[in-house]
Amino acid sequence: MTKINTVKDLKALRKRLLKERKKIRATLVLCGGTGCQASRCQDVTDAVKNELAKQGLKRSVCVRTTGCHGFCEQGPLMVIEPGNIFYCHILPDDAHEIVTKTILDGEVVERLLYTDPVSGKLIQTESEIPFYRAQDRYLLAQNRQVDPCSIEDYIAIGGYSAFTKALFEIPPESVVREIKDSGLRGRGGGGFPTGRKWAECQKAPGDEKYVICNADEGDPGAYMDRCLLEGNPHLVLEGMMIGAWAIGAQQGYVYVRNEYPLAVKHARMAVDQARKIGLLSDKILGSSFSFDIDIARGGGSFVCGESTALMASLEGKVGEPRPKDVHTVVDGLWHKPTTLNNVETWANVPSIILNGSSWFASKGSKGSKGTKILALTGHIKNTGLVEVAMDTTINTVVFDIGGGGSNGNSIKAVQTGGPSGGCLPADKFDLPVDFDVLAKAGSMVGSGGMVVMDQETCMVDVAKYFLTFLQDESCGKCVPCRMGIDRMLEIITDITEGNGTSWQIGLLEELGSTVSQTALCGLGKTAANPVLSTLRYFRDEYEAHIHAKKCPAGVCQALVTYKVDAEKCTCCGICKRGCPHGAIVGKKKQVHAINLDLCQKCGICKSECDFEAIQVK
Amino acid sequence: MTPKVTVNIDGANIKTARGSSVLDAALEHGTCIPHLCRVPYIESIGACRLCIVEHVVNGWSKVTTSCTLLVQEGMVILSNTEKIRKLRRNVAELLVSQAPNSRAIQDIAVRCGVKEVRYPFRNSECVLCGRCVQLCPGTFGVKAIGFVGRGKDRRVESPFDIRSELCNECGSCTDLCPMTVVPCDGPMKTGEEYLCRNCESKMAFAEEQGICISCDFGEGFQCERSPQNF
Ligand SMILES: Cc1cc2nc3c(=O)[nH]c(=O)nc-3n(C[C@H](O)[C@H](O)[C@H](O)COP(=O)(O)O)c2cc1C
Ligand code: SF4
Ligand code: SF4
Ligand code: FES
Repeated sequence: MTKINTVKDLKALRKRLLKERKKIRATLVLCGGTGCQASRCQDVTDAVKNELAKQGLKRSVCVRTTGCHGFCEQGPLMVIEPGNIFYCHILPDDAHEIVTKTILDGEVVERLLYTDPVSGKLIQTESEIPFYRAQDRYLLAQNRQVDPCSIEDYIAIGGYSAFTKALFEIPPESVVREIKDSGLRGRGGGGFPTGRKWAECQKAPGDEKYVICNADEGDPGAYMDRCLLEGNPHLVLEGMMIGAWAIGAQQGYVYVRNEYPLAVKHARMAVDQARKIGLLSDKILGSSFSFDIDIARGGGSFVCGESTALMASLEGKVGEPRPKDVHTVVDGLWHKPTTLNNVETWANVPSIILNGSSWFASKGSKGSKGTKILALTGHIKNTGLVEVAMDTTINTVVFDIGGGGSNGNSIKAVQTGGPSGGCLPADKFDLPVDFDVLAKAGSMVGSGGMVVMDQETCMVDVAKYFLTFLQDESCGKCVPCRMGIDRMLEIITDITEGNGTSWQIGLLEELGSTVSQTALCGLGKTAANPVLSTLRYFRDEYEAHIHAKKCPAGVCQALVTYKVDAEKCTCCGICKRGCPHGAIVGKKKQVHAINLDLCQKCGICKSECDFEAIQVK
Repeated sequence: MTPKVTVNIDGANIKTARGSSVLDAALEHGTCIPHLCRVPYIESIGACRLCIVEHVVNGWSKVTTSCTLLVQEGMVILSNTEKIRKLRRNVAELLVSQAPNSRAIQDIAVRCGVKEVRYPFRNSECVLCGRCVQLCPGTFGVKAIGFVGRGKDRRVESPFDIRSELCNECGSCTDLCPMTVVPCDGPMKTGEEYLCRNCESKMAFAEEQGICISCDFGEGFQCERSPQNF
């Protein structure tokens, strides 16, 4: 890699790279994200490369292994350009057919195409797939254009031109103004206006300042930050460089969750490349600005993602939150002014500088601009990473992108915002994924988790699940969080076991609101959300558990009974043979029955019965 | 002399040293704000959340702990509003439900207006206020005890669970531990815990007015204004 010394060098390099690329007749884009790696995409890549070599196409066809495309459940997947042909669930043995048919003859291999689960139709190109079509993929789309291990790829598509534009053409104050005007808000959970944070940090006294990228991503089921850092690390670095220039920082850190080895590897590689090429150094490209970035590995707990805990962990101390009466933009890492932003927040910065604040502000709603990446999971047909403008409704996400309920079940609720987010009922699905709107409705956008739940979900059980997670993850320092979550969980456990009393609902509400108002850090302040939001929208379920001692969804084991539906029973006897507790009675040609005294509610009979004759109520 | 700033606490303008906390300023002036984890002259960790106050900025009030909030010129603080009393009572209720066997915690509960405890009592041996950890001078500035574990597994321990070589046997840790003050009627048996409320009559005035009356409760939670601790 040759070092570049001026902006002119960078432009010349980009021109040269683009010229080389003109010679390529086709590009096979293979997803190499963590999800697809789990489905052995590496073998597919090797097979494809071998096949191309065999057929003498090594030079004219480019194979690009990229970061996650978001549709992990279809992996390993491949997009062929030109043509935008989309193949999924590829096996190494398919390589020969793909190369001979599609590359050489321009034909489509039908059996590798994607079948839309809603219409049952085969779909040929990526852009026609409903999962992608209803999205507004700006950040995620860039993943497909670059090999995350290649700075040349990034530079070829215009990478680092936003940074050099800022460095040589826009003074720091104007950079901050631009970010302010864009309306960008933090993607890490709080939705704090990024420009305001930068402005305060820029104003804060002191010469030594820091920027940090929060890639600790501890929410269960969330992986948008992993996807960006793994798939396009230079984009995140460029955002940080622009931020550092704006606030006057000399050093940056990327704090990566310990369980993300590939993200750590790619981020390290990207920093090395940027150093070698001269984009991270003393007096970058002949300017007066010096900046470097280091990669740090996370402390391994959820609460380490909280800003003050993260900084303590970076300083080598125990990753525990501390009171933030003076903001970290003034008193942060090593008591110096520090700007901490989420991976996705940083990734949005370069395009704002390049395209202008009004371009960014043209997308989204009044108070929430731009796009947000969501991790869509749960009881729906399509799951994966989804990027939508921030005025898109939950309906669009769940039904147009997610394809609606799996197994034809009707959908009851979504849980948004990660473990400390809230649950919204289906009649609120016309709300947009907007910071303020969701907060007002008792939930939040948070870091972008979205779990869809169907009618077979018990909302009291959901609240219990999240409380258990938060109890395990609370650092235990402050009383309301440590004892409050414990007591809320105690009450909810009582309720799910049929020992709840009606006054406990009021106590839950009062306790929840006390914990929210008095806890030390964000974890405790939001820990009651799952309880409070389910109490707000699904109070009837709590009441059914308490008064009727019934779990309407049939989930809470203590409150359900197993019964044989006489109409559906075909007297086959499978259940009787399957029951390990000998609780089922019945002879040949006789409707079977369950002895409730012996039944241990293990559910084996239900899964054994081929005729859905076992009812849980 | 350290420069002074003026802060307004519950309507009174108080002149106090820059760099002191709102809690210190209040106590100095005779405004009672209950507190547990704070140790005088040591930087507060803000763990017990009893010393919460409303900090009013541009008409917006924010609930925050007064032990970690440093005074600033013109600051407006409300320490005894309806809202604060209720929150404080709920936090104290959590505490006493966990440690009914501590006289100090019983005192705090009464002082904070806890009238009933709505959770099953548990007899914990430690409420994790952290006073001992804060106070431990250790040897060469390295503490002999510290917190280990997270969440409900959090506990105070000396490294490797044995009395550490760093311990210089000063006894500070047990002196200031709220669990070492023996309750008036002796320890309660498991299953027979109750909220004692014996000394309730003494505090009617303090809770309503939020003024320090140099009460006896202060002994329990080592308030330095308490007559026993003077
Ligand atoms: C318990 C807890 C965990 C958090 N975890 C993360 C995380 O994993 N990633 C993240 O970006 N922000 C996390 N945050 C939010 C950060 O504290 C901080 O607000 C954020 O990184 C700021 O960046 P932003 O303004 O760009 O969102 C967490 C907050 C709390 C209270
Ligand atoms: S709110 Fe919870 S996680 Fe945060 S400091 Fe308190 S105990 Fe720790
Ligand atoms: S002595 Fe009693 S009244 Fe006075 S500040 Fe201490 S606790 Fe409050
Ligand atoms: S005394 Fe302030 S939080 Fe404990």
